[in-house]
Amino acid sequence: MKTAWLICAALLLAACGQPAEQAETRHRFMAMGTLVDVTVWDAPADQAATAAREVEALFHHLHLEWNPWGEGALGRLNHALAAGEAAQPDADLAALLREAAALNTASGGLFEPAMGGLVRLWGFASEEDQPAAPPPPEQVAALLAGVVPLAELLQADGSLGPADGLQLDLGGFLKGVAVDRGIALLRARGIEHAIVNAGGDLRAIGRRGERPWRIGIRAARSPGEVAAAVEIEGDEAVFTSGDYERWFEYQGRRYHHVLDPRSGYPTEGIVAATVLHADAGRADAAATALMVAGPEHWPAMAAALGVEAAMVFLADGGIELTGAMQPRTWFTDEAHGRKARVRPLP
Amino acid sequence: MSLLRPGDLVVVALAALLVGASWAALWGGGGPAEYAELSAPGGAAQRLELLQDATVAIDGRLGDSVVEVRDGRVRFVDSPCIGRHCIHAGWLSRSGQVAACLPNGVVLEVGGGEREFDAVTF
Repeated sequence: MKTAWLICAALLLAACGQPAEQAETRHRFMAMGTLVDVTVWDAPADQAATAAREVEALFHHLHLEWNPWGEGALGRLNHALAAGEAAQPDADLAALLREAAALNTASGGLFEPAMGGLVRLWGFASEEDQPAAPPPPEQVAALLAGVVPLAELLQADGSLGPADGLQLDLGGFLKGVAVDRGIALLRARGIEHAIVNAGGDLRAIGRRGERPWRIGIRAARSPGEVAAAVEIEGDEAVFTSGDYERWFEYQGRRYHHVLDPRSGYPTEGIVAATVLHADAGRADAAATALMVAGPEHWPAMAAALGVEAAMVFLADGGIELTGAMQPRTWFTDEAHGRKARVRPLP
Repeated sequence: MSLLRPGDLVVVALAALLVGASWAALWGGGGPAEYAELSAPGGAAQRLELLQDATVAIDGRLGDSVVEVRDGRVRFVDSPCIGRHCIHAGWLSRSGQVAACLPNGVVLEVGGGEREFDAVTF
């Protein structure tokens, strides 16, 4: 009897003394050119850790398959296109290309995955490269003239090309898909509350115990500072595209990695765009497309891509957000809040 | 995509007023971070107290990354990478903020105090 009491007391103490932090399991790894954090709440630590390591393996696999310049599915496709041949992607990549082509069409071509050649010309294709100067304008013009929109390039049977050396770079979409698949894997392992965060682009499911997940939004021109925050409860992705992610300066002018498919040059007017959407792949593409659309047309682009909640930081220091985003946004100080203006979706 | 019509401008103006009235919904925020953890492949993480100014080097895959602790904040000041993204990340001072030199495999994260955000989008 005494032993039973001791066991009961020990169990009670273990339950009461459980620090809140122990309900959280975090796993960090480097993959797809970024730092990935998997955060799991309220699951047994061993179950959470095992599932998070599976997400890591998944990301490494997807990196190999989707590296535009590697030997995986997308790399092989680009090799064939570069050789002037038609390419037949495998079933998984073909399905993703159809999704990307649909976004290409819906965005009026402002989300354009068929610009891999231009991305490479600018020197933004690899983390190991740091461009010293913009490419010669005639080379930009020549590659731009050869771009065939993905939606036109992709045939009904899933094949592509031949397209005279055209290269695909789905960097503004596949990170989102990887995050979606990471969440799907966690769910399949019985995890209900989690965040998969790939370098500041994330999807959150469930909640963090008694409260929703809290997501900060970086101040566009103040690295290390957070301008605003949103709460996520249930299932939603938060993706941001910013001109500060990859850039270089040449003769006093800043050149960044988000290229405008209409000009072949870096976008102007919007320095960062944050999109909330249930689908991380769509949120990823939309964040890029809003930057390309620019200060005047970003609400129309959001509507065209089915995005209701978005916020943009303008080059002139202004902050604009949609009507659906506004009631969900907390600003970290009054100065940011005063700048904020709602732009209605058309 | 059409330009704004006069009716839209009225809506924009009203919406702007609404936002102006609601910006007072400020984030409660958490306390300042207390320490930073600095890690490189193959080694145990170093803990740096943010109240003690210091300059610390850590050996990564390519060479030494250097971080500076000053006035309760921490940042990368040098790293043997080409892109210099880690240095562009600037000062970190809020619990949970992370900067990394991926080519060198070095990760810097601040912690302690009340963690304000579960993640930061950027």
